[in-house]
Amino acid sequence: MKLMYPLAAAIAVCAMSSSTLAQMPPSKIALSGARIIPIIGDEIEEGTIVIERGKITAIGVMGEVDIPFDAMEMDLEGMVIMPGFIHAASADGLDRDNESLPVTPYLDVYDAVDPSSLFFEQALRSGITAVHVIQGPNTVIGGVSRLVRPIGLSMDEMSIRGDLAMVISTSPRNGFDRMAQLATLREAFIDLDNAIDSLAERRYEEEQEKKDEDVNVSPQEARDLGRELIRDEDYNDGVYNLVRLRRGELSPWVYTGAAMDVAPAIEIMGSQDVLENTVFVVGGDAHKASGQIASTGRPVVLGPNLLYRERDPMTGRLDEVFVPKQFHDAGVTFALLPSQSGAFAERYPTFQAAQCVRNGIPRQTALEAITINAANMLGVGDSLGSIEVGKTANLVVLSGDPLDFNSWVEKSFIDGILAYDREKDTRLKQLLDAGKSGEEEAEDEAEENGDEAADAAEAPADAETGGDAGSDGDGSGNGEGR
Amino acid sequence: MNRDRYQFRLQRLLGAAAIGAACFTASADSSTAEAESVETKTNVTTQKADAIDVLVIYAGKVTTMDGDDRVINNAVVVVEDGKIVEVRKAKGYKEPKDAEVIDARDSWLVPGIVELHNHTAGALRDLNDSVYLTNPGLRTLEIVAPETEEVRRAQVGGVTAAMLIPGSGTNMSGFGTLVKMGGSSVDEVVMRAPGSIKIAQAGNPEGYWFGVGRSFMNYNTRQTLEEAKAYHEAWVAYENGESEEKPEYSIVFDDFRGLFAREYPATVHTQAYQLVMTTIDMLANKLGIRVVLDHSTIGAFRTAQLVAEAGEENVITMVGPRALYFDRMDRRIFGEVARWHLGGVNRLGINTDAPVVPQEELTNQAALAVWLGWEPYKALRGLTIVGAEAAMAEDQIGSIEAGKDADFGIWTGNPVDPTSWVKMTIVNGKVVYDAERDGRRF
Repeated sequence: MKLMYPLAAAIAVCAMSSSTLAQMPPSKIALSGARIIPIIGDEIEEGTIVIERGKITAIGVMGEVDIPFDAMEMDLEGMVIMPGFIHAASADGLDRDNESLPVTPYLDVYDAVDPSSLFFEQALRSGITAVHVIQGPNTVIGGVSRLVRPIGLSMDEMSIRGDLAMVISTSPRNGFDRMAQLATLREAFIDLDNAIDSLAERRYEEEQEKKDEDVNVSPQEARDLGRELIRDEDYNDGVYNLVRLRRGELSPWVYTGAAMDVAPAIEIMGSQDVLENTVFVVGGDAHKASGQIASTGRPVVLGPNLLYRERDPMTGRLDEVFVPKQFHDAGVTFALLPSQSGAFAERYPTFQAAQCVRNGIPRQTALEAITINAANMLGVGDSLGSIEVGKTANLVVLSGDPLDFNSWVEKSFIDGILAYDREKDTRLKQLLDAGKSGEEEAEDEAEENGDEAADAAEAPADAETGGDAGSDGDGSGNGEGR
Repeated sequence: MNRDRYQFRLQRLLGAAAIGAACFTASADSSTAEAESVETKTNVTTQKADAIDVLVIYAGKVTTMDGDDRVINNAVVVVEDGKIVEVRKAKGYKEPKDAEVIDARDSWLVPGIVELHNHTAGALRDLNDSVYLTNPGLRTLEIVAPETEEVRRAQVGGVTAAMLIPGSGTNMSGFGTLVKMGGSSVDEVVMRAPGSIKIAQAGNPEGYWFGVGRSFMNYNTRQTLEEAKAYHEAWVAYENGESEEKPEYSIVFDDFRGLFAREYPATVHTQAYQLVMTTIDMLANKLGIRVVLDHSTIGAFRTAQLVAEAGEENVITMVGPRALYFDRMDRRIFGEVARWHLGGVNRLGINTDAPVVPQEELTNQAALAVWLGWEPYKALRGLTIVGAEAAMAEDQIGSIEAGKDADFGIWTGNPVDPTSWVKMTIVNGKVVYDAERDGRRF
């Protein structure tokens, strides 16, 4: 399996700790003793998960599961195992959220994802094992998205699946208003029809020419006859991707940044016959249109900011709305997004889920919102998002309950490979060590340098007094060496 | 441009500090360099030339840079009509009567240095024609100027061949030209045109129009190259009789035929992880183009494994002009070349991006790389034969072997030692710079 070594090496690239995962991971492992929260199925208090070649092959109560004789067993007593979290929509791994052109269906995030981006390392650290990289909402029709592992040296290694979704926005992009936005969007689909028409006409003429027959039908008839003569390779990239969108091979992820953007989104996606694949990425006060969205039966992705604040213009009273509750009450399935910016707790998917529970959403629903829901929206629910036999072994191991904010992400497995281990997360250690005060650090340095300075002055007696308890051994060791 | 200038100044600032230190280490390193030889002078005896021009050079040390990495002390190199015919120990050799003799018994004879990244064609007035985001029809051949100040600079640095490439203002700014740094007419100096196709992966072309990102740039670059490749393949099919249809000649795409036939490489402005990854993935692996990574800095050494996987016969790494990379997350400094080297990349060279770093300072770039952890001998290879390999001209230049062009620098010591200087530069067997005759330039 070519994948393994590069994946391990990628961690080295990310964390710059080359020794941690240099050896090949075992092809069979058993994780025992942890509480298992499988998302689909019942929790197991002390369970065992068996992984073979990256897939989950058995789950059950510890002792009742047969562990293959050649599997490496990892004792995870006291830990909690969950399916790896899925980042439902992120432009953070890209060089920029959007291109300056309004309609770019021919683009693919493949060309702009930076595997060395710190974003992926940070995602791994917070338990995310799959990231849906999609362009941002500052567009009319954006490029094609891709689901990636947060580890890997190249895009091909990182990719779980490409050709997933296409970002479409009914909210105006920067510097434009809604009329321009929607006109451009409608125009893009009209252009698509025109492109297909002229292609159909050309194909019909080509085929007639091949058969040495005249073109003696009206242009409209030629188009009708030529439509089924179009082969996939006849399309240019942009037209092809939009055709695939209509065929349902790509799903529209429609950004609606306000309640008023929802109705046009439903109308236009309906006109293209793609509403049944649509995912709404919502922001602003779009929750006010939760009823409309519910009527489509389609899910939503919620922006990282879960509280919506609005001041009543008459009374001046500040109203706070907990957005996920609105969608939950309307019966809409939702996925939660962590925020990658700033120093807020929102950057952890578990915190987002915990906030939901605090605001009256059932625990199971909240946990589904950071795991299986995104997998289903992306069409990978059959392999990711829960711990079930046959699924990909993307797992996160936490030191305690996921909704307890004292819990740490201890380990992550991606395709059964130990992709993250907090013990070996040198950067995290560094960052936490940085909490030391400047004075303390200066003291530490003085201790270390004290020895050397004294040695250089050939005053071994001073060296012993200069270095405190811990450094005595070193001091005498140096003395012997001379 | 402002940013470039800033980087240039930063580079020079860092360079000045580091070169100072490099002087110290490098001269301590190479005991063979014989610092005292700086004091001595080269004697030149010129005799009347006959039908065949024979040049005989006696040298204290010849670093051949050949396949066996031979270093010959007290050697003689015989040149006939601008080509090397013999390299041997001086003992027992008797030069022909009417040969021109250069006595450099106190000096090093080093292969002419090869620069892969030089923007001084047209003496800089024509750096970028940013017509489109990719400009496949442009050529530096049109603006080669054989006797500019920049060429004179190159000669002082022992540089005898350079790839003159257009700038990186667009993703594809045109075809480079491989030239000799000595000669008086365009025909005389041009070794090969196209020398390369210049591609800039990103990190400058972003400024085109009102801003483009990597998803668009890479899409667009790939489109242009795929069109060019289709053109080449249509012609190949026609020439092999596989297709009856004669393709229409395209002045824009015809020069690409050599690229896809792997007769010349793409020299790619690429740096930082994602860009170099894309260069390897898109150009080398998927389009089958022979690639020279030009710059390869800003932490790009982390792609070393990708280079190894793509094969060093497909991807040659030329580093510079930045010598070091400060990783702000790790708060560490990395020597760029040394890190590539540690990452297992062997075909490693170095460049100046002249005039960002003046062309005569290419060896200083190498000194700095050595100071930051590269090996001195590898640095000498990187300056000479690796550059020739990158240019796909290793049959003609880059080492001192019989059959190759007589391009040399006569140095007071190891070129990688910044206290060494060039006494004489020879191109095609002709002395184009002689410190004694011309006075030391610059």
